Amino acid sequence: MTQFSLVRDSLQAHEPASAWSMRLRRRGYQRLLIIRSQINLYYFWETRWFFIAMAVGAVMLSLPLPEGLSRDGMIVLTMSVVATILFVTEPVPLPTVALLMVVGQILLLGLNSTTVAKSLMTDSVLFIMGSLMLAVAVVKQKLDKRIAWMIVRVTGTRTVMVCLGIAVVSGVLASFIGEHTVAAMMLPVGVTLIRLTSEDKKRVRNVAAVLLFSICYGASVAGIGTPSGGARNAIMIGYWRDFFYVPGDPDTQQFLVDYLTWMAYAYPIFLLQLPLVTLILFTTFKPEYKRLSRGVAKLRAQVRAEGPMAPADWMAIFLFFLILLGWIFASEAIGMGTVAIFGAAVFLIAGLVKWEDVNTGVNWGVVLLYAAAISLGVQMKDTGAAQWIAQNFINMLTPIGADHGMGLWAAISILTTGVTNTMSNGAAVAVLGPIVLKVAVVAGESPIFIGFITAVSSAFAYLTVVGTPACTIVFAAGYLKTGDFLRVGWRMVIVSTVLLLIVAATYWPLLGV
Amino acid sequence: MSKEERQAQEQQRALREWRRNRFRILACVDGSDESYEGLRYAAEIGRSDECDIILLHVRPFDQGLRTGGLQMSVARENMLEWDIEMPGVECLKKGLELLIEAGHMQKDWEFMASRSEVRGDPVGDNKIEYRSKTGKSIILKLKTAPDAASGILDQYELGPYNVIILGAQHRWQGDLRSLWDAGVTQKVAMLAPCSTLVTRKLGKGKGCLICIDGSEHSLGAARRAAVLAQHAGSPVALISVVLKDEDRKVVGAQVDAAKAAIESMGIPVSEAIVRAGDPVEQIIRVGARYQLIVVSDSGKSRIKRFVVGSVAFKVMGHATNSVLNVR
Repeated sequence: MTQFSLVRDSLQAHEPASAWSMRLRRRGYQRLLIIRSQINLYYFWETRWFFIAMAVGAVMLSLPLPEGLSRDGMIVLTMSVVATILFVTEPVPLPTVALLMVVGQILLLGLNSTTVAKSLMTDSVLFIMGSLMLAVAVVKQKLDKRIAWMIVRVTGTRTVMVCLGIAVVSGVLASFIGEHTVAAMMLPVGVTLIRLTSEDKKRVRNVAAVLLFSICYGASVAGIGTPSGGARNAIMIGYWRDFFYVPGDPDTQQFLVDYLTWMAYAYPIFLLQLPLVTLILFTTFKPEYKRLSRGVAKLRAQVRAEGPMAPADWMAIFLFFLILLGWIFASEAIGMGTVAIFGAAVFLIAGLVKWEDVNTGVNWGVVLLYAAAISLGVQMKDTGAAQWIAQNFINMLTPIGADHGMGLWAAISILTTGVTNTMSNGAAVAVLGPIVLKVAVVAGESPIFIGFITAVSSAFAYLTVVGTPACTIVFAAGYLKTGDFLRVGWRMVIVSTVLLLIVAATYWPLLGV
Repeated sequence: MSKEERQAQEQQRALREWRRNRFRILACVDGSDESYEGLRYAAEIGRSDECDIILLHVRPFDQGLRTGGLQMSVARENMLEWDIEMPGVECLKKGLELLIEAGHMQKDWEFMASRSEVRGDPVGDNKIEYRSKTGKSIILKLKTAPDAASGILDQYELGPYNVIILGAQHRWQGDLRSLWDAGVTQKVAMLAPCSTLVTRKLGKGKGCLICIDGSEHSLGAARRAAVLAQHAGSPVALISVVLKDEDRKVVGAQVDAAKAAIESMGIPVSEAIVRAGDPVEQIIRVGARYQLIVVSDSGKSRIKRFVVGSVAFKVMGHATNSVLNVR
């Protein structure tokens, strides 16, 4: 029998087609995406939403002005609509949207460049930036193994207890240091427990689901607990101040919401939700193992090897407590943002985190995005666009009797939940904040109540992976499917919404606003 | 052009020249059962020393906003501290284990790891190469790209490959739709300059069925595929489909000629089938008995394919077992 060589006689490796485009292609993906527009239609398909958004913008701007809306108001409204489409569909990198918002304010509204630049940086933005730096610093402390040790020592080996323990610890931590931080810290704990229980992914599907959802839902429901729990809280606090606070007017003093006031409103909701998370998870997924003895025993051995707490660990914890105290007691005087960036500076000075880690760990584009979104939100108020939408929103709700009280609260909560499931919750609050606060004014409701309902509802992004940072991070571990989020998410949404409305109706009035 | 640049280009050319003397298999793994099936096939044909097997996993760029401004890399690094691998690495490791089980790698192989920066992603591309004394190598590559298909196609440009192996996708878009929106496998199958093998789990049969349409091109492809089948140790069968019964004679002669041509190469042909009817339907029906169906498209441009329609692509999309498209 003749021997053939695979190389010569079998399938051939051809050179890639035409040289000029290929040479350009090799230079990198960013350019590849541009080059592909010349070669084929994929570019247009993948960025179709960008063009659709731009077309919608062009159409809106060429329409005659609706009654009661100024030309500037229409422009700002158009920008918000276009930005919302881009937020949801993500055809271009999202920080691009921020850049376009800035450019749009200058070119379309004719604002002074310096004015727009100044409006970008506020205390809320400083706070978001500082908390992100702190988040990296906290993750880098490697406290996760000690926390894991603490959890399994207290909870024992029953699956339900381990999950409850993880949810409680994730939640309490997340309420102070942000849900993304906790998700990044606790994810290895969850995955380790799963892997130690069984190597075969198919045999631990439900165990994986309850453990990982305990982390991400535990952290998600906690994100509303305190202002430092998430960017959206800081954004809402910023809106209250920008919209309603008049320096020197004692009546408007209540709109300067401080750390403790926020906690008084929101923390009970988180505490009530926490046991419900475990309950809902265990009624949805039936774990294959009632006890995780094997996994827990191995995890204990693994974390015991770490030894006792090092002085640097205590130092980090101590510093974080100082920052927390700063937020509680000093934020009224110097601003929450100042405390946050001061805290980040102290962590850097103490050598507990390297600037390089902070620099690569924080996505600065997000800071830019929130800055631009808040600045656009303030324009919504200044140009009367928010007022106009609010009026129309109320007119729309009046026939069904939802223009005041509980009906309005429920409507706003549902609206926010819908929006937040399609985009990041910070972006949802940034977009909706100005509108709902004006709705509150038009309807004669307390802007504080309505603001809280929006901020809290923005955490109800249980249905999709992109909804909350914690879900996205946990999803990246590869154990969950997108369908799982829907399966358990809808129960969470209903329970959370009902709980929020009950608390709003019974508990908040006691706080007296 | 500076001297260094010229030197680098010279090196690049030498590397490509060397690679052209190897039979390079690009096996794309995404963790699905189909993709491991493809890897098993790669192991079958890649036994000889002149084969290199490259395992590729493409993962998307990290999206910063969704994680609330904390880069995914922070979470990733933390996972690595706990000795937990990313899902992509897990896929690749599982693939490597599969190859080791198939007796592909010995202990004395050289080991090299490299990493390259990618703009827009903190982790970048990672590559691990195992090389034997005889020059045979197995490469694990974790790539970052905006989407899987363009990642695979980009990988092709880094070094030519003889065949790309992909797991089949569930839905195969129609001809018109595929011009701008196709799944990963379909897009790669359309755009790849080399042969592509789409694997499915269902193929329980044995041997490979080579489709012939009487053209010079398909005869050439049939010969090449026959050589490959011989290497994999599977028997070869031929099929040709006629639209009308009257043409049976002409086509029968063509098939016999092809059979003779392949047998003259010393490769036995077990069957030569002629069927009448719709080509796609007949090929898929007969092909179900075999492990692999071999088709060849004439390398039509995408516009042309849309106008003329391609049996090869319809078979690739709708067959129930694995399909090799020879280019």
